[in-house]
Amino acid sequence: MSTRRPLIALVAAALVVMTAAGCGTGASNSTSGSAGTVKKGGILNIGTTSGIDSLNPFIAIESQAYNAFVMEYPQLVQYGPGIKLEGDWATSWKVSNGGKTYTFHLKPGGKWSDGVPLTAEDAAWTGNTIIKYKDGASAVLAAALTHVKDMQAPNPTTLVVNYDQPVGNALPQLEQFWVLPKHVWDKQVGNNGKDLKTYRPEQHLPTVAAGPYTITSYAEKGTTVFKPNPYFYGPKSNAAAVALTYYTNSTSMIADLQAGTVDFVDQVPFDAASSVKNSGTFNVDEGAGAEVTNITFNSNPAKPKNRELLDPKVKEALEYATNRQQIAKTVFQGFAFPWANLISKQSQGAGWVNPAVKPLPYDIAKANQILDGLGYMRGSNGIREVPATTGKYAQPAHQMSYDMMVPTSLDFSGQREFDIIANDWAKIGVKINFQNGGDSQQAYAIETAGNYTKFDMALWDWVGYIDPDFMLSVLTRPQWFSWSDTGYSNPAYDAEYIKQGTLTDFKQRQALVWKMEQQAYDQRQYIQLVNEELVTANAKSWTGFYPQLGAYCKCYYTSPHQS
Amino acid sequence: MRGADYVVKRSIFALVTVWVAVTLNFILFRLLPGSSVSGLRCQACTPQFKEALIKEYGLDKSKWQQYVTYLGNLLHGDLGYSQVNNIPVWDAIKEPILNTLPMVLVGTLISVVLGVFCGILAAWRRGTLTADKLNTWTALAFYAAPTQWLGLLVVFYVAANLGLPVAGIRSPDLGILSTPSTWEVVSDRARHLILPALTLGIGLYGEYAIVVRSSMLETLGEDYVLTARAKGLANWQIIWKHGLRNAMLPLVTLLALSVGYIVAGAIVVEDVFSYPGIGLATIDAIDHRDYAVLQGIFLVLTIAVIFSNFVADLLYFKLDPRVTT
Repeated sequence: MSTRRPLIALVAAALVVMTAAGCGTGASNSTSGSAGTVKKGGILNIGTTSGIDSLNPFIAIESQAYNAFVMEYPQLVQYGPGIKLEGDWATSWKVSNGGKTYTFHLKPGGKWSDGVPLTAEDAAWTGNTIIKYKDGASAVLAAALTHVKDMQAPNPTTLVVNYDQPVGNALPQLEQFWVLPKHVWDKQVGNNGKDLKTYRPEQHLPTVAAGPYTITSYAEKGTTVFKPNPYFYGPKSNAAAVALTYYTNSTSMIADLQAGTVDFVDQVPFDAASSVKNSGTFNVDEGAGAEVTNITFNSNPAKPKNRELLDPKVKEALEYATNRQQIAKTVFQGFAFPWANLISKQSQGAGWVNPAVKPLPYDIAKANQILDGLGYMRGSNGIREVPATTGKYAQPAHQMSYDMMVPTSLDFSGQREFDIIANDWAKIGVKINFQNGGDSQQAYAIETAGNYTKFDMALWDWVGYIDPDFMLSVLTRPQWFSWSDTGYSNPAYDAEYIKQGTLTDFKQRQALVWKMEQQAYDQRQYIQLVNEELVTANAKSWTGFYPQLGAYCKCYYTSPHQS
Repeated sequence: MRGADYVVKRSIFALVTVWVAVTLNFILFRLLPGSSVSGLRCQACTPQFKEALIKEYGLDKSKWQQYVTYLGNLLHGDLGYSQVNNIPVWDAIKEPILNTLPMVLVGTLISVVLGVFCGILAAWRRGTLTADKLNTWTALAFYAAPTQWLGLLVVFYVAANLGLPVAGIRSPDLGILSTPSTWEVVSDRARHLILPALTLGIGLYGEYAIVVRSSMLETLGEDYVLTARAKGLANWQIIWKHGLRNAMLPLVTLLALSVGYIVAGAIVVEDVFSYPGIGLATIDAIDHRDYAVLQGIFLVLTIAVIFSNFVADLLYFKLDPRVTT
């Protein structure tokens, strides 16, 4: 399952800056940077296979929409080169009141693209509105403001954020907070806030934006045009405009890259990555991404059927029988590496990846030994049999034969990955059947059907943020029907999740996060398979890209310039 | 049978067909597990939120009540509201239909012209290796090939050589920095239309080639063709005036019948070329389980097929006097 920001897969753990051109260099027509002269102008054409589903932040799901919001709206802080938090609209901030008050000093002089001044009041209104409707219309944005009590604007360039208790990840969370134009959105809060979800900025173009760009043309399945906002408070766009074009398939996209119609592809498909990389025609960048593929197990304690799959020992055997190396080599053409942690490698540099969580080696004999030890012996057809059980969740004797749901919306060949796993698991007497999951919405409906009681396992993925908060949250009970895809429910884990968010001491929080990662690994709600690599390509006529910073940094669009 | 009786009978038949199609259209979507609401996935999509949406969309009512409401709305020209985009269904599908129409028309034109030419050639040079057998086999091979595969071949081998765009309906940078002239817009649109139309055309021409060949063989064996030859008429006169005109009837039927197939082919073609037509809109609606839009699309397509068959019936009435005897 992907989060709403699969583009965050663009983030590498160890950021390698592709070019020496600085993020957001000056606004003059020809600017000297460390790499030389920055040539202004031109239209940057970007190809993508993921469209912007909506320009309304209260309803958008797709990654490109989130990237668009970064380009349109001010953020207090953002991730910059080196995956380090830096001020975006905020120039500085201080923490007071025992960690419960954050005071941000904002860059003056900014305006919305319609000429209305950008002030701290816009930020305070946005924050307070999200908090006010957090149990309804604004819930999708409220996670970034967890524990925020209110926001105040004592003057146009000062914003005060008050928390109800000290939190350990205030700035990473606020990185996901976009400031909306109050004079546009305050007319949309009727119907108890529900109108926030029905407003369609795409029907009122150009959008009112205070970031580096305003959107002048929008087509979910076509081209969306970003034009520079002349009133932007920060470094101006080097390109005269950015055109983001959606492709239904990667073949056409790569063909257009080769033809020169596309200047930058934000994720080269794995089956084309080698040829693109070896062609020598483009600048290609590759590094560890944020996407981790996994086998998702239904972990609802009240699961009525095939309850042996709740047993971590059974899943340990299945992990031993899973050949991650072959998956990385065959499915991802070598552009992935074995991985076992719920948190992706992108978070390693920030210290959030527990080094003790490592993949088990591929060992069929060991897997067979474990299942034999559990008493699941092979039947006449070679498939192991689970004896009948009694008690509250009694189940009859049955074979270890399961449906594995595979969504169609994966960015890799789910069928190929399934085949490898099915072939290996057959060697230990476990049969799996391919179940087409449809797109991500349909697949999620299958997982949650009957309160997480209808499915056994799925082949999917997660794309997390740098801060581990979100990925840890997907295993909590409150995330049922929102982001939980396992149905896991454990009050002790939920309590630990709440606690980690409030630990302000890094070491303390790290220790708890690592403990939770280990617990997740031991319980195996997922068997994590591989961490994908991110391969991006750009035409040599353009440079200055920060491919790892998609949906994180305004420099993702403002920095590229013609060679 | 009198002409008026024939037209009335065909009209009633067409209307009944539309009603059956509308009903099936309604039933099929309700047989699917889940709904556009149950598939929603977001942090705000609590069971209570979904419950409210189900009521808002009338999905809590009995299927019969939903059916009656659906029929009533249709009679008022109301195709419903897109549950995803929150706009009238007609607004959601109008532009895709207008995008698809010229592409399908050009594609059909390519297939008919190519098919008729190849069919005539094969029939006229019956039994020869190149003009008949190779020609027919090639047409059949293209017809049998998956359309998306043909599309990919066109992307690989035609697009780059001709410098034609392989995606979308408009160049991404057209009109961004300056206002394009009408000619620039039209020519840009035409350039984007060529490859999808070509794919559709070469994918379908085999069907026409086979039918025309067969039909031409029949007419070329008629006595009046022999008479024409005996009179010393030129080959093109024999083919055009005596052969093709009399072989046209099956072609008319095929054209009417293939409207549905053409649209189905357009779905695949549009997917390959990211062409924002009715095919992509259909896929999008399926992905989002936007029943209202899907029903609207299927209804419009069904009516298009029924209407084209109705027109074919009327043409038959004009072209073939035997129909009314």
